[in-house]
Amino acid sequence: MSDDLVLALRAPLRATVDFSGHALHAWTELGAAGVARLRVRVAGAGAVALGDLFDVRGGNGGRARFAGDLSRVEALGAGLERGEVVVEGNVGREVGARMRGGRIAVTGNAGWGAGLELAGGLLEIDGDAGPRAGGASLGAKRGMTGGELIVRGSTGPEAGACMRRGLVAVAGDVGEGAGRAMLAGTLVVFGTTGPTPGQWSKRGSILALGPVTPPATYRYACSYRPEYASLILRHLRDRRGLPVTHEHLTGSYRRYSGDLAELGAGEILAWTRD
Amino acid sequence: MNLRGVLIEDTFAEAFTMRAARILITGATPRWVTAAALKLTGFATSVIGCKCEAGIERELGPTETPDGRPGVSVLFMTMSKDDMPKRLIERVGQTVLTCPTTACFDGLPDAPDRVGVGSALRYFGDGFQASKVIAGERFWRIPVMEGEFLVQEKFGVLKAVGGGNFLILARSAEAALAAAEAGVDAMAGMTGVFLPFPGGVVRSGSKVGSRRSKTMIASTNDAFCPTLRVVTKSDLPDGVNSVLEIVINGIDAPAIARAMRAGIDAACREGVVAISAGNYGGKLGPHHFHLRKIMAEGAPA
Repeated sequence: MSDDLVLALRAPLRATVDFSGHALHAWTELGAAGVARLRVRVAGAGAVALGDLFDVRGGNGGRARFAGDLSRVEALGAGLERGEVVVEGNVGREVGARMRGGRIAVTGNAGWGAGLELAGGLLEIDGDAGPRAGGASLGAKRGMTGGELIVRGSTGPEAGACMRRGLVAVAGDVGEGAGRAMLAGTLVVFGTTGPTPGQWSKRGSILALGPVTPPATYRYACSYRPEYASLILRHLRDRRGLPVTHEHLTGSYRRYSGDLAELGAGEILAWTRD
Repeated sequence: MNLRGVLIEDTFAEAFTMRAARILITGATPRWVTAAALKLTGFATSVIGCKCEAGIERELGPTETPDGRPGVSVLFMTMSKDDMPKRLIERVGQTVLTCPTTACFDGLPDAPDRVGVGSALRYFGDGFQASKVIAGERFWRIPVMEGEFLVQEKFGVLKAVGGGNFLILARSAEAALAAAEAGVDAMAGMTGVFLPFPGGVVRSGSKVGSRRSKTMIASTNDAFCPTLRVVTKSDLPDGVNSVLEIVINGIDAPAIARAMRAGIDAACREGVVAISAGNYGGKLGPHHFHLRKIMAEGAPA
């Protein structure tokens, strides 16, 4: 029998709700009554008890489950250190921002900055993610420093911007400026990679399994099959359920080095069917 | 005890605690996997002269390797944990890194002790190397003329057992060789063990020290040399004209015991007089593999 902590939205949210500052990994220790007494900030209304917004039930099973449309909820699971959070539906901006461990699963779409500056753990989004998924705060030089962000839909612009470490994998398309100013880390795109990927990247890898046009500041180096790509793709197929094909594993990759306007130690690996 | 007319002597093999790493080598085809593995495990018969002992544990199919290519599992042993990184770095660096198409992975991911291998070999990349962390493990990509060499940063090291053995005492050299080959074939591919000597067989079994030199740490095992039967204190029964030894190293004592049982059983054939074992009176090695107990129970000694 499930002993999840369940938070079911009582009524559709009419204003944004800010969850930042709430360490969800500690919630299961509080119990349902304790969680219901916690207060979150609602735009235009100030601090409101969670119990007024959600029907809170359940126990201490280590997993928190949210039900309802949370598109107006911001920073859910921010700073998560352990445990599991499931969002059954959509969620707003900055879900899982700066999380360091544990797992967050979103069955719907996520807003701006999903997994922003992720440092560890696993954030999985079954739908689409907005701009700057796995990226850095505006003006910050460093984005993700670890962990994995898996998006089974598509993302907006600047996915994986300023990554330092970690893995972002997108089953669909990514918008303009993916991997912008990457310091290291890996971005895997199964669909179409939008314009100017990897611009100003110092290091870092973009594995483009679909159409991609490297920026003018990248230069073609060679066609080969990097073994590490096989390891990453097998990991994504076997443990994350992403649509890796036999041809992805055995095919050739065109390596473009760049950004040559920067350090030039980065790469775009464009899979070719031949 | 008698097995198909072959006497199983009431003695034991004496083995030592060593440190082991398991190295997984993959490549584009079995040809190149084997080429790398044979070089890696070459000149690695005994720590006495080679500083390490190594052998191919078994071949791996594509479903068993991290990158889905053909591979082999190599067991690699040294006398101490401190010796391990130096030997691994020099051998992997000279034999696997150099071999076309290969990659090199840790085969003991659960071992708590880890030694750096890729973390040292990366410097061959002269600043062009790059690393990737995949599922919590760091790998180094070292650019080479062919493309890239991929090697795991750290390899697990476990306490293991070296020096399990048995001796085949036969009426002729031909019979000893045939029995040894049968024993080796029976142990081939068994998980957790390897046979470090050429073809799995050693003809020059040794005793500790020397009758004449104080500096030699090992010399010929004169008690089992047929040509010395009348000039030394011989341990050979009548009718024995040739002796071969099979040395078995393993991840743990049960793995060695299982292999010894299979090997001895296969070696008990026509022309073999007795099966014995090498020991030092039980004073040197903590692992004692009693032949009769192994053959009777199949249990670790």
